[in-house]
Amino acid sequence: MERSMKQYETDRREAARIAARLMLASGTTSPRVGGVGECTIHILDDECDIEDLCQEMERMANIKKSWQFFKRDAAMLRDADAILLSTSLRSLTDPADINCNMCGKLVCEYLKEEEKLPAEPDVAFTGCLCIFRANNIAYAIDGMVSQARNLGIDHGVYWSAGAAAMRMGILPRDTGFALAVAISITEKSPFRDIPQRYAEINQRTMNDRMINRLWPQFRSIYS
Amino acid sequence: MPIIEMPDLIQNGLARSVELMAVAAHNSFRFNDRNTIRMRAIDGDDLEQIAEYCFSLGDMSPLAARDGRHLVQLMKEPCSLLLIGDKRKSDFNYNCGACGYRTCAEMNAAEEVESLTANGPSCMFKNINMNIAANAAASMAHRLGLHCRIFSTLGFSALALEIIEDVDLCVSISVSVAKKNPYFDRHEFWTKEHWEETFDKEFPPFNRGFIGAVED
Repeated sequence: MERSMKQYETDRREAARIAARLMLASGTTSPRVGGVGECTIHILDDECDIEDLCQEMERMANIKKSWQFFKRDAAMLRDADAILLSTSLRSLTDPADINCNMCGKLVCEYLKEEEKLPAEPDVAFTGCLCIFRANNIAYAIDGMVSQARNLGIDHGVYWSAGAAAMRMGILPRDTGFALAVAISITEKSPFRDIPQRYAEINQRTMNDRMINRLWPQFRSIYS
Repeated sequence: MPIIEMPDLIQNGLARSVELMAVAAHNSFRFNDRNTIRMRAIDGDDLEQIAEYCFSLGDMSPLAARDGRHLVQLMKEPCSLLLIGDKRKSDFNYNCGACGYRTCAEMNAAEEVESLTANGPSCMFKNINMNIAANAAASMAHRLGLHCRIFSTLGFSALALEIIEDVDLCVSISVSVAKKNPYFDRHEFWTKEHWEETFDKEFPPFNRGFIGAVED
């Protein structure tokens, strides 16, 4: 009995590792504007790496009121089995040269001359980015999401994790914009049906609280 | 049971497929769980004006000219174009900085810059939502076995011609039921003269004798 439960647990993790790689394949082969390579996809499937990322997200949550929800995202991502980070390598340094005006600078030459936002704590992405290039990320994300749906795997998309990963410096140097897809192979998706105040009240904090309360009494009474 | 001929089967199947693609795009993942995209499908003769417009941009954009020329070929067999558009202003309040403004409020208050291709400045997450919807439609087309390609040039043209209204950004998904995949490896458009002329214009250093020497 013990052994088979343990086997199930390791197989479940292995399934998440394989699924993450299949999603990477689908995200990589999704369309790219102009057919030019631009996105890279990085897999975090070590729970220590995921924890590091979640802690960075929690640090960022305190910077701005509008980023408060990063804490909730961190609580959800702690339950993820793997996180796929999709980056855009050209949007910061290499505008598409098609003068599409999505950035509002009319032509690409003006965008190149424009001063970028400084890399300060309250700036997640140092815009103005080339939006036409960054749109590739949308295709990569939906490539991964549609693969996850085909495989029947619970998934969620988060920009907070992408911004935190950029801030940690674990993505390529030229990354201008990054988004994350988290996957989970569990019986209940940790990315759906999220209660209010999830950052404070989730399975982890509730376990901690119960055990912290009950354990000392149990220890002293039954010793 | 009535007999349905093959052209009708194909045409009706295509129409139904485009509806299913629209449903997939409508229900795709989006940030903030807010669906603000607008969609419209065009097929048949209405595509002609887009093709003409694209082709007329030849001097400014060889890419648009190529796609316009390609669309003329494409219209000879049943095909359809799904347009997906969205407004440019942010309703997310993420304050992420990707648009070049520190806060969403600053971006929304910034002066609008109009152009033939898109109106800016636009919110990055609006763009991401719209393009995820586009890819969801393409993914559905793939599953239905249609030939499919995403064209931003045709989307820009539809926006400029006001075929899709009340949007600032637009992207298009073209699908076709041609016998051979018409979207990739389109070498039939390249005559030898045309290839050489375009190549010399676009990549002048390639045939240059040595650095800097240009003979007139």
